[in-house]
Amino acid sequence: MKTAVFIGTLESPPNVDLKDVAGYASRLPGVVKVEMISYSSPPHPESLADELRRQGIERVVLAGDSPGFIKPLFTRAMALAGANTDEVRLASFREHGADLKSSTARAKAVLACAVQGVPFLLAAEPKPLAVNPNTLVIGGGIAGIQVALEIADAGKKVYLVERSGTIGGHMAMFDKTFPTLDCAACILTPKMVAVGEHPNIELITNAEVTGVSGQAGSYRVKVLKRARRVDVKACVSCNSCSEICPVAVRSEFDSGLTYRKAIYIPFPQAVPNAYLVDPENCTWVQSGGKKCGACLKKCPKNCINLDEPDQTVELEVGNIVLATGYELLDAARVERYGYGKFPNVLTSLEFERLTNASGPTGGKIVCKTKKLNKRTKTEEWVADPAGQPPKAVAIIHCVGSRDANYNAYCSRVCCMYSLKFAHLVREKLPQATCYEFYIDMRAFGKGYEQFMERIKSEGTFVVRGRTAQVVESNGQMFIKGEDILGDRVVEFPVDMVILAVGLVPAPGTKRLAEMLGIPLDQDGWFSELNYNGEPTQTERGGIFVAGMCQSPKDIPDTVAQASAVAAGVLRSIACGCITGDLSGLKLEDIESRAAQLAGATKEIRI
Amino acid sequence: MEEKRIGVFVCNCGTNIAKVVDCEKVRKDAEAQPGVVVARTYKYMCSTPGQEMIANDIKEHRLNRVVVSACSPRMHEKTFRNTCRNAGLNPYLLEIANIREQCSWVHDDTQAATEKATALTRAAIRRVEHHQPLESRTADMCRDTLVLGGGIAGLTAALELAEAGYPVYLVERADHLGGNLARVDLTAPYLYSARDLLLERISRVRNNPNVQLMLRSELKELSGFVGNFQAVVETKTGNGSSQIRRLPVGNVIVATGYKEFDAGRIAYYGYGRLPNVITSFEFERMLRAGRIETKDGRTPRYVGIIHCVGSRSAEYHGYCSRVCCMTALKYVQEIKSAIPGCHVFDIYIDMHAFGKGHEDFYKKGSEVKTMFLMYKKGDHPIIRAAGKRDDCDMLIEVDEQLSGERIEIPADLVILMVGMEARPDAGEVARLVNISQDKDGWFIESHPKLDPVATTTDGVYIVGTCAAPKDIPDSVAQARAAAARILARIAKGKIEIDAIFAEVDEDRCAGCRLCNTVCPFSAVEFDESKRRSHVVAALCKACGTCVAACPSSAIKGRHFTDQQICNQIEGLLAGI
Amino acid sequence: MSIRVNPGFISELEKYGAADVQKCYHCGNCSAACPFSKEPFIIPRKSMRYLQMGMEKRLQGTLEPWLCYYCGECSEQCPRGAEPGETMMSLRRWLTSRYDFTGLSKLFYHSWKAEVLALVLLALATGIGFFLWGSSMGDINHYDGPQAFLPSSAVHIFDWSMAGVLVLLLGINALRMWWFSLGSREDLKLSFFDYLKAVYLLPLHFFTQLRYSQCESKRPWLVHLVLMLSYVTLFVLIMFFLHEMQSGPQVDWRVHIFGYLAAAGLVLAVILAIRGRLKKDLQQYRHSHASDWLFLGLLLYVALTGVVQHVFHRTGYEFSANISYILHMMGVVPMLLLEVPFGKWSHLAYRPLAIYFAGVAESALLKQNQQQITEQAGAARAA
Repeated sequence: MKTAVFIGTLESPPNVDLKDVAGYASRLPGVVKVEMISYSSPPHPESLADELRRQGIERVVLAGDSPGFIKPLFTRAMALAGANTDEVRLASFREHGADLKSSTARAKAVLACAVQGVPFLLAAEPKPLAVNPNTLVIGGGIAGIQVALEIADAGKKVYLVERSGTIGGHMAMFDKTFPTLDCAACILTPKMVAVGEHPNIELITNAEVTGVSGQAGSYRVKVLKRARRVDVKACVSCNSCSEICPVAVRSEFDSGLTYRKAIYIPFPQAVPNAYLVDPENCTWVQSGGKKCGACLKKCPKNCINLDEPDQTVELEVGNIVLATGYELLDAARVERYGYGKFPNVLTSLEFERLTNASGPTGGKIVCKTKKLNKRTKTEEWVADPAGQPPKAVAIIHCVGSRDANYNAYCSRVCCMYSLKFAHLVREKLPQATCYEFYIDMRAFGKGYEQFMERIKSEGTFVVRGRTAQVVESNGQMFIKGEDILGDRVVEFPVDMVILAVGLVPAPGTKRLAEMLGIPLDQDGWFSELNYNGEPTQTERGGIFVAGMCQSPKDIPDTVAQASAVAAGVLRSIACGCITGDLSGLKLEDIESRAAQLAGATKEIRI
Repeated sequence: MEEKRIGVFVCNCGTNIAKVVDCEKVRKDAEAQPGVVVARTYKYMCSTPGQEMIANDIKEHRLNRVVVSACSPRMHEKTFRNTCRNAGLNPYLLEIANIREQCSWVHDDTQAATEKATALTRAAIRRVEHHQPLESRTADMCRDTLVLGGGIAGLTAALELAEAGYPVYLVERADHLGGNLARVDLTAPYLYSARDLLLERISRVRNNPNVQLMLRSELKELSGFVGNFQAVVETKTGNGSSQIRRLPVGNVIVATGYKEFDAGRIAYYGYGRLPNVITSFEFERMLRAGRIETKDGRTPRYVGIIHCVGSRSAEYHGYCSRVCCMTALKYVQEIKSAIPGCHVFDIYIDMHAFGKGHEDFYKKGSEVKTMFLMYKKGDHPIIRAAGKRDDCDMLIEVDEQLSGERIEIPADLVILMVGMEARPDAGEVARLVNISQDKDGWFIESHPKLDPVATTTDGVYIVGTCAAPKDIPDSVAQARAAAARILARIAKGKIEIDAIFAEVDEDRCAGCRLCNTVCPFSAVEFDESKRRSHVVAALCKACGTCVAACPSSAIKGRHFTDQQICNQIEGLLAGI
Repeated sequence: MSIRVNPGFISELEKYGAADVQKCYHCGNCSAACPFSKEPFIIPRKSMRYLQMGMEKRLQGTLEPWLCYYCGECSEQCPRGAEPGETMMSLRRWLTSRYDFTGLSKLFYHSWKAEVLALVLLALATGIGFFLWGSSMGDINHYDGPQAFLPSSAVHIFDWSMAGVLVLLLGINALRMWWFSLGSREDLKLSFFDYLKAVYLLPLHFFTQLRYSQCESKRPWLVHLVLMLSYVTLFVLIMFFLHEMQSGPQVDWRVHIFGYLAAAGLVLAVILAIRGRLKKDLQQYRHSHASDWLFLGLLLYVALTGVVQHVFHRTGYEFSANISYILHMMGVVPMLLLEVPFGKWSHLAYRPLAIYFAGVAESALLKQNQQQITEQAGAARAA
């Protein structure tokens, strides 16, 4: 088949030697022409068509980081030349990870397949390896929980490693979940309990993965178990240690709205349901056992051991699942909204806790009030149930999202949870006025659009236009924004501002990626093996991504993805074999495999 | 008869219940009821400490009946049954009083709500006295799976199972695989080749010995129950004749996909009347043929793309079709590539660029100088033929929101981004596999958040766009999710049959067969030899229809005996 | 009545320096961030929108671009790098070319080569003209007195006639500006009184540039103010005190002190401006159109030649004084005849005028908006 190869890039891909690739292309079977093209000033379709006709080209292969962006031009040229338009093939480097390490070799392989008209993923199949039936899941949020349960329910062993003292992740902090408004705890806690009780799940909390070696099917993983300093089995969560503990630390679970002690339980339904010690803040640990130790005397079951050392365990697993989730972008970076400066500018997570029945105010939405902290003898703003309810609440969308200065990407969940917030405000404070400042209202999921309509009908003012700033003049916050559809600039007083802060990968994501040899995408999330076809598989065999850590997504999508990962794992266990790393493949192997498959794939008409 | 020792546990559910119902009052009243030996309240009964409390009481107070006044049994009945089982008590000796969904969430008068909660709890106490210990049973299961639909979702699901080594019947109505995706050339937002994706999946499916491919085929009937379904599939063998096959399958994956909205239903877009107003799928055809042309073969200088055609509208579909925005942006790039210098107008309501790489793709669309024009939800553009003196075929008129101006847009070609809708035969499929549809015709999942692929019928799963609009990665993920469930079940080997079902007392049965006809799950069979009816436990969903229907009251619903129900009612009315 | 959009307009505006306006997705951040954005003048998003949609009619009637002083707040906060500030700048250039009836302005903005050529030609003509004229009147070795090469009395007449031409050209353009923004709008009912009661704005903002001082960073305002005041001072000196300027060699402090101050201010301001544009340390200095450089270059040339001429004159080198005088005029004349009416300089007139017009129309426009809102509300209620 007379083939012409055109090489060019939309954005220059890192470490691909295009010259080298071009040279390689000219040596491929059927290739009669190799040309470099520029996407910014592409050839004109007519002239291109003449050229193709003259040379009697039957197949065009477009090679580059994103050749799809120029394909229509060549399809048109082929049509004008009277050739088969289906014979415009893409050698899409980025799609197949050829913008990463060992890129040039990968690029060549991708090109070789395209020239044969064979999908890369079909030809580039790593040889199967034996698989260890045990699985490691990193991260105990809803994604990790779902994966672990799916696999464990199939009777397979799962190690669930969680950084914090309990599983549950961010979902445990939520009050209600959109669009059905059922309470998050009610649907999450049963799953958490199930994980805790599951005979096939070994739950390793307060721990972190520190090293990974081996290959797909037989990974050896080093896990650092930080000393919990409390015997999980013996502890009955009687709380007497916490009562006596003199050290107060801002509670992570209440996103800093309240204090917890240095020996504490993250929240009542925590799994495992036992206390733990925060060594950074424990007087005993810091003083090397010279000071305090009050909890030791108080514990009725003597299950506290403040001198318990950290330990590292090594696990043998066949598959590894990344479910490390996300964290909020630091809202203080977006200075104009005055987060950290004004007490009643809250992040979305802070509001989740504020409006949560198990939160600091028992679910009352109130403005913070100034109180004297007896311990520190300083005045500070606290969320007190007796506080004043806000008369006007503004919810600002896209804080640090869709913004070249922060996150260029959309965080996907903010529009909906912001609408949820509006509902909660209107429900709990019917007198309060509530404003939403948005850019595009992204209500795309099942039942989301109807939810949006409902919120609007509840009397929330939905304003198109992102607010520019929050200012304060003698104790009163003012918000200034453009009401685009109303064609005016509005400025009015508000008592509470809720920032729909964008999402960023969880801390340590980069470290983990390097450790595992998994590429990150331009925004810092884990890259999937193939955007469309393999959304949960990664570059490396036996390593999967589930949930937020691959890119922001809502709970249903996270759960679906998590289950999908379970399928991959269970499949490998069921057939007793697992595909290795793509990077392990040799170029020749891919070439010859592609040549073999060329005939068969030609049969298939789509 | 043994002495009844009842424990009552009232949950505050944080403040979900406690904010309206005076739980302490409820507890006190329960404590006073005959047979009740212990009654407690707790903040979160479902939490581990809460469950441990129940377990301890069962042991300490030798409880033989338990009542939990908390949320709906749908939520936590399983949880508390396990608690009982782990404490050595038969799980069916538990009764849940729903004082949240049926009380605290729907009332705000504390006193009345508390009375109601008290009554509900009493009812549960009186009922539980008559509970009998029941045992659930297990049955063998068939490892074969039936996959309906050969689109990207169906293909992926089939492959996942087949590559795990289990047989799959892939049933596709059409004579080729690929579904709607086969009509697409490139995919948003990275413009990857859709055909390569399908090519890969399809060749794998064809070369996998575990996949039994059945083209031109339809499911005609599905009987049996999870693990033991009987599927009847009809395959058209050309020249009008067809072949019927009975397939024993353990699970069914429904991946029947969607149908695009019929633009002809909307008059004001002039689809069908104006020759150069086309749908997105017609445009895909143009792209693939490399001929982006007007009907009379000219190359368009102005192309208008209109979003949300049939979506997000009061008169057609209320929902968002989720993929059109990105597809529209894809067309922007494709037009700009194929026809340099062509002006593109993108007429949208909200730009739904929510997924990975989407926002960047939106930006790329702006950078190639697409004119993005916003119209109002509820409003719509109007397309009319242009006049002699205009340099274009058509004019699109719309109230542009971001400028507040009434504008007209020149266009030689107008692309209508038609949304997704449930297939016309979705209702038929739903009936066959016994699942339900929402008001838009999409299949309903068993839990919108935590169980998006399972349905209310055990062993039947819904994946891809037959459940709701979604893009390729999400469909693929769902397909695998369903596969995971099935793989897990196969790994277990057996399936559990609920202990709650109807039983026929053959001595009293007159063989009138009324029950056979009323049963919605066709779980009642008739034994010709004995001239008696009997219930297939695994099929019975314990709806109780037959129990009510039986003229000689020969049918008893386990766990729903007349006595239990009468007592419950008495308990409910005791206070009045 | 619906307005036809023009997708080609963005590309047209690129010739005036607009580069990224197509990136704007209308989050509204800029308008809310702008210190001058207040009903009925929402700056800059509305103008950006008209630009994107190619609504020339609307644009040529807008005053918003002139109400913006390019503090750069909007560009700094813009989430998509659409450079609203720079877009407004380019719109000011475009508007200048729209007001100009000769089409020269448009020509200059489209090609800086044309502008330079025009300047050079006029400069040469001036040079030759002055040389011949001077020779016909006196001796090039004499600066002052009976054989003076270019006697102040004669030059005085020349200056005034040139000023006349200038006023005529600017006047016509200003009139067009008024017609576009107010005159041609039937929907605006403006009484003579409306014009009268706002007239104070004109001198106020011309001499103080009050609005500019409201920007967060004061530096650009100061530079600009010094530049403008020095320029005006010199202009006044030349028009009314030319005789004192030309007589000498001894210095006449009553007049010259102003000259020195103004010259110093001019040079200083120009240097600061040039430095800023080179360092790009402020948003507004980040992008420079060819016309900006020409403007500053020419100004610097005029100032320096002026200084040199003055020095020669006072130190008694009469021949050199005359030569440098001609060189000075070779800068002054093109500047006054080309730059002031057709180039960047015209904003000297347009800005205060815009503020004045805005003041005139403000209340009427507000009333109009109110009406619309109530009408919409009524319609909504009806629906």
